[in-house]
Amino acid sequence: MKFKTHISIKDLNVWYEKHQVLNNINIDIPDKKITVIIGPSGCGKTTLLKSFNRLIDLQDGVMVSGQVFVDGENIYDEKIEVTHLRKKMGLLSQRPQVLPMSIYDNVAYSPRIHGLKNKKKLDELVEHELNEAGLWNEVKERLSGPASKLSIGQQQRLCLARGLAADPEIILGDEPTSALDPISAEKIEQRFLDLKNKYTIVLVTHNLRQAKRLADYVIFLYLGNIIEYGKADEIFKNPKYSKTKDYLNGKFIEEHKIDKELNLKGTVCPDNFVKTKVALEELEVGQVLRIIIDYEQAVIEVPKTIEYEGHKVLEVKSINRTDWEIIIEKRNDGEI
Amino acid sequence: MNTRKFKDAIAKKIMFSFCVFILSLAFLIGFILYQKAKPILGVQNLWQLLLSGKWHPTTGQFGMAGFILGTLWVTLIAVFIAVPVSILTSLYLSEYMPKRVKEFTKPVIDLLAGISPVIYGVWGVIAVVPFVRDYLMPFLSENLPFFPFVSDNYTGFCALSGGIVLAIMISPLMVSVMGEVLGAVSFEMRETSLALGATRWQTIKFVVLKKAWPGIIAAIILGISRAFGETIAVLMVAGCSIQEFPKSIFDTAYPLPALIANTYGEMMSIPLYDSSVLLAALILLVVTILFNIIGWGILFKSENE
Repeated sequence: MKFKTHISIKDLNVWYEKHQVLNNINIDIPDKKITVIIGPSGCGKTTLLKSFNRLIDLQDGVMVSGQVFVDGENIYDEKIEVTHLRKKMGLLSQRPQVLPMSIYDNVAYSPRIHGLKNKKKLDELVEHELNEAGLWNEVKERLSGPASKLSIGQQQRLCLARGLAADPEIILGDEPTSALDPISAEKIEQRFLDLKNKYTIVLVTHNLRQAKRLADYVIFLYLGNIIEYGKADEIFKNPKYSKTKDYLNGKFIEEHKIDKELNLKGTVCPDNFVKTKVALEELEVGQVLRIIIDYEQAVIEVPKTIEYEGHKVLEVKSINRTDWEIIIEKRNDGEI
Repeated sequence: MNTRKFKDAIAKKIMFSFCVFILSLAFLIGFILYQKAKPILGVQNLWQLLLSGKWHPTTGQFGMAGFILGTLWVTLIAVFIAVPVSILTSLYLSEYMPKRVKEFTKPVIDLLAGISPVIYGVWGVIAVVPFVRDYLMPFLSENLPFFPFVSDNYTGFCALSGGIVLAIMISPLMVSVMGEVLGAVSFEMRETSLALGATRWQTIKFVVLKKAWPGIIAAIILGISRAFGETIAVLMVAGCSIQEFPKSIFDTAYPLPALIANTYGEMMSIPLYDSSVLLAALILLVVTILFNIIGWGILFKSENE
């Protein structure tokens, strides 16, 4: 493959405790293109993504070997300034994470912590980035209102604007549309297509149709190994390996083994959370609960509180215009 | 009815009545204290009792302002010392310390909170009082000869010693509550801030503390309420002679709980004496309950947001 490389990964191995999550990864990620990482759950997609801006450092008991070059610099070198590296990359997570402040302050967060104080420049920047994220017209009247009052779709676009305000070179998206309704998801996808001329974009997704719509290049990751990597149309039309073919044909699209289901449509916070907690109490550690909700605020609040209780949220997914499913694995028994 | 069912019913009734008894204790205590304090309230005006500094039981003067101010003064000193220490400690524990070490330190802090106050008191007498007398007071009163460092009390038994001992006693409680509050801020929130290129300190300052602020205030209020009621340790180190108005951190202080513990049961032949002391107890009870309600209220509210 011939392209200008932006991120270059050499012999990358990652372990959590004794469990190896990434196995000898060697790839080059092209400059100003959309690269999509696909693969079954738990195959290391998110870990790979977070190894680019060293967010995996924050996990307890993580061990990394190998090198990742961004703009020719090895980011795992001791001399590297990690805040500077992270500023280069905007991150969109699966569930939008707005900071506990106003819409304006969210966007201005990164410029401010990096020393921009001029009010006029900040105003211009905030307007510009909100425009870039396609949110300006919806929020220009209430910039000083709390960001948490926005809808989830709007919150995700706000996160995009906030990431862009840091003046990054790279945008990382960890399933950024999976919790959004189809219309909000489409808006985000459109933003990515508009932005790819200016930024290198790396996305993790579960949604193969989305991958087909967006990807210039595709990485297929399976159990911590890169099975196949190449131009999107080549891989989608003509996968070389049978594993890739199977995955693309939906043969082993992983389904979580659900031990219990709970329909919480029509319930609000914190009622749905309490019901979820009670349902989890009846399960054994390691069993999986699937809940269906239709209350938007709960899409963020329930996973957050469940994780605070020590359980693992495996997936949050929008299943149709009004409903979401949240899949939770019970992790601890009683006390945290 | 067979015996098995009979026993079951009896057991339930007994447990129920104990439960009711425990729950009604607070009201019971408050009610009895009020009954006992009534005689003095019938004779003297409550506000006058609270605002007057003249405590001369033999002439019928029961002004409690000196004790109330003493309580506030010692508590203020304690909070002044304990709040920054607790906030920084809990921040270190939640933001920097590796999880494995935390599993070991958390029980130690809870253990500190459970040590008997009299031990803190004794430790105050043998360590804090000499330290204040021999080092702190000479140093501060020489270098900063103005309020609140000037005093003619050279014993070391003073408001500052009381404040230091209290600060050490309430810190574990505050660290523990603040730890809960900080732990409730999600990992993703921190990750988001760090991903934008913030340092850990910026993340703490702009995101974690911002989110946890109400809870930290609540922890401080709970600490204050604990400090208000603490008796024996303060009594042992604060000097306990009456001051009308606190003029220095090196003056003696005589907080309300110490007054109650020291005097109740003695000199009961003086008219209205026991009634006035129990009024002091009632005030203490009301203030403590009030502070607890406010503290837990804020905590509860911030948890539900």
